[in-house]
Amino acid sequence: MSGAAASPAIELRGLRKTYRKGRQTVTAVDGLDLRVERGEVFGLLGPNGAGKTTTVEICEGITAPDGGQVQILGRQWRTGVDTEIRSAIGVCLQETKFHDKQTVRETLELFAALFARGRSVDEVLGLVSLQEKAGARQKDLSGGQRQRLAVATALLGAPELLFLDEPTTGLDPQSRRQLWEVVREFQRGGGTVLLTTHYMEEAHQLCDRVAVVDQGKVIALGSPDELIRSLGAAHFVECDVDDFAGKLGEQELRALPGVQACTFAPTRAELTVASVHTTVPALLELLDARAVALRDLATRHATLEDVFVSLTGRHLREGA
Amino acid sequence: MNPRAVWAVAKAQFREFWRTPEAVFWTYGFPLVMTVVLGFAFGPKPPDPVPIAVVVADPAAADSDPLVAVLRHDARLSVEVLDAAAADRALVRGRVGLLVHGSVAEPVVRADPTRPEAQLAGLVVARALRDARDGPGVAIAQEVEDRPGSRYIDFLVPGLIGLNLLGAGMWGFGFNLVQMRTQNLLRRLSVTPLTRGEFLLGYLMGRFVLVIPEAIVIALFGVLLWGVPFRGSWLAFLLVVAVGGFAFAGLGCLLASRARTTEGVAGLMNLCQLPMWMLGGVFFANENLRGPMRWAAEALPLTHINRALRDVMLEPGSVLDIAVPLAGLGLFAALCFGLGLRLFRWQ
Repeated sequence: MSGAAASPAIELRGLRKTYRKGRQTVTAVDGLDLRVERGEVFGLLGPNGAGKTTTVEICEGITAPDGGQVQILGRQWRTGVDTEIRSAIGVCLQETKFHDKQTVRETLELFAALFARGRSVDEVLGLVSLQEKAGARQKDLSGGQRQRLAVATALLGAPELLFLDEPTTGLDPQSRRQLWEVVREFQRGGGTVLLTTHYMEEAHQLCDRVAVVDQGKVIALGSPDELIRSLGAAHFVECDVDDFAGKLGEQELRALPGVQACTFAPTRAELTVASVHTTVPALLELLDARAVALRDLATRHATLEDVFVSLTGRHLREGA
Repeated sequence: MNPRAVWAVAKAQFREFWRTPEAVFWTYGFPLVMTVVLGFAFGPKPPDPVPIAVVVADPAAADSDPLVAVLRHDARLSVEVLDAAAADRALVRGRVGLLVHGSVAEPVVRADPTRPEAQLAGLVVARALRDARDGPGVAIAQEVEDRPGSRYIDFLVPGLIGLNLLGAGMWGFGFNLVQMRTQNLLRRLSVTPLTRGEFLLGYLMGRFVLVIPEAIVIALFGVLLWGVPFRGSWLAFLLVVAVGGFAFAGLGCLLASRARTTEGVAGLMNLCQLPMWMLGGVFFANENLRGPMRWAAEALPLTHINRALRDVMLEPGSVLDIAVPLAGLGLFAALCFGLGLRLFRWQ
């Protein structure tokens, strides 16, 4: 078992999975490689349909891959150790409806009984701050409480590795923060987490490392800060004007100090810059000199969203 | 009223239905198949003769009895000649709807008028007796069968207990299992160390505790309210209920082992339930069926459960008397569970 203990929490090599949808074959995972170290919170970030859930379900042993290697805590599914793996992982699926008429405590007692050893129901209730709702039935819980209950069922077996598939989708900001705290607490206790999300902020706040997934492949990998730094610029300057036409061209904006990229429209420009304080004075001076009337000026930090846009030319969430 | 709103609701409902292939199949495909099968079974052909019994003191000497000869002569009747005890038994078990005794000149019929086949049998017997005499019809004395144990209600209550076991197996075990699957709850359980065998056994136990009290309640209801007799052994009764309930629970689990939608499993359940409702000996005795229909009836587990229930309620049946059907039902249950466990899918 020393070999298993030294192995990474998750190792995926050349993972492939295709589905038949009517007459079409859809490739959900297309040669995906991934290594999640023990003790880290690892995020799979990508748009809907990128293959995140399929990848996680392969890791959880729910779905068998068509090709590639899967190692979970140094073990492989379907080699006679499935129960061992299941005893060591905790799973929170994207959508689970527990028994409507059972209380939080009863639901947790059911799941606690499935594991040979693990945490007590009361301990887990404390971890997810649901002590006051212990006697409430599932149907009387809010969305955030239900989601914390789902995470609580995953914590009962005292897992080494926790899978969270879009744990905060549809939750209000406060519920989201509460869940983040649960995840951090789990990590402080030495646990490893693989989570999927399409919220950039969540990935940035929570994850030690992030894999950006698109069309079944990992297209970028690193800590959130590394990924953002890889853009070469950490800031954006957005300016709205009455009209650039005949007064100022895209080339002149690109030539301003510190500008690395520029998207240009007749009444709007977005500059990617290394430092705001060198570019903005020069920009204002240039606009003034050409008599372009400035309507709005805003600066912001680059986000993982920008990383995704720069890699794919698309936004993470449609309409975002 | 906003016609656009009405139209939009109608359209949404229609689409929802049309895009559920299971619903489409069970709505169109299944009734079509049923029509064809039933068409062949009940299609144009002479009607089956009506079963009656003639009660005589000595069945061995029946051939010289003019009443027997007259009734046997009529092709619309299927006549059994029995002594009083055997005739009562045939009536209890619903094998015949009507008893005739007396003579050609002074015939007496005995039946429970609430029994559906009694009316028809009475009419046919009256016609047969009239046809045998060229003159005016003979006056037929009517005796109403109202002794506990020989009435239609006595026949019906054991059948209803059997029907309840069937419903509990289908809805309680099958349907509910598929509902847990559609809610992703089975999938969630599958990623814990829980095995399929552990799950199904626990599921069965939790639901099964409800089945036996339910049967006891119906039996008590019949006994106390309508005076349905209970002549056999209660232990045998409980055994039939347990084994029968187990058989239908197994069938329910088998049907639900893979179905992904409640429409799909409801269709499969209908497919199994319909023949049992019709041919399982609940509302009328299936011993009178002929040919393929009889074979079909004999192949249904409900037939054997109902027969065993009547053995222990209407007759002094003991555990030994129902050992063979019990063994058969147990085997059926084991087969269903074994196959269901093999086929079972979490998702």
